[in-house]
Amino acid sequence: MTNDPSPRLLEAGIDPRSPRFGAAITAALLLLVVGVSLTYALGVSPARRAIEPGFILFAIVTALFGWGAFAGVRRHPYGLLFTTLLRPRLSPPTHREDPKPPTFAQGVGFAIGLSGLVLHLAGLPYALVVAASLAFIAAFLNAVFGFCLGCHIYLLRARARGARGAAA
Amino acid sequence: MNFILVTVTLLGLTALATAVGVVWRRSQGRVRVAHTETALSAQDLGVTAWGAGVTLLQFSTEFCSPCRMTHSVLDELARQRDGVTHVDIDLGLRPELARRFGIMQTPTTLILDGGGVVRSRIGGAARRDVVSSELDRLLVVA
Repeated sequence: MTNDPSPRLLEAGIDPRSPRFGAAITAALLLLVVGVSLTYALGVSPARRAIEPGFILFAIVTALFGWGAFAGVRRHPYGLLFTTLLRPRLSPPTHREDPKPPTFAQGVGFAIGLSGLVLHLAGLPYALVVAASLAFIAAFLNAVFGFCLGCHIYLLRARARGARGAAA
Repeated sequence: MNFILVTVTLLGLTALATAVGVVWRRSQGRVRVAHTETALSAQDLGVTAWGAGVTLLQFSTEFCSPCRMTHSVLDELARQRDGVTHVDIDLGLRPELARRFGIMQTPTTLILDGGGVVRSRIGGAARRDVVSSELDRLLVVA
């Protein structure tokens, strides 16, 4: 992360519809995770819990979040799917966006996913359901309303940093 | 858990997310009239001087797409109208300002009169027509 505020997004921007398309797929998958996790009782050992369908599916979704966060949203499979399948059928974008906000949001999703997976393995009941539900709400709000949770979290972090700076 | 209970849970989750989204969207771009008398110091915020008529003081962060859209809306309004200045501050660089002004979302836009007094506040993406009528109101009074 840099502190460079210079707007240089126009030449390198992404189609703003691409992250929302990805969020729609993610939301559908997460709803599936919640449904599947509710269907199965919590396994007795970490090994049992690691082979539950809900766990495996959520691990895949979390890995996809990680892909977006670490490789960037432009190299994400949903981004490629959008570019090859949907983009040619749509009108050109009215504007382009910086890929940094959706990349950061993927990082937030990855963190939520990872904590859910770890707590589930540790044997906490409903850890998967709660984590997947939170991630679902964020992805759904992003896909349907264009709400950006990552932006809020980024601001809260900046506020906390500012408070520390003022105290020092 | 049985099938019906799972289905109800999933529908409930979707309904909850929809409700949150509707409430959030309705709050976006709304103008709130401020009731303060204290003038902000331009130098304090790293600005040479406030606009003669109105200053659109926008707070943004790097990881925020609506900030970019608001930036171009406000920038264009400032260029079209006399006495209107647009200032965009990156909270990543001035995090203490987020606390000082109680900013919980970006973009947040404060509308200042010629004396640097906050007259209104817009949370979320600013709409051209809303800001425009707010400018009409403040510029007439001024």
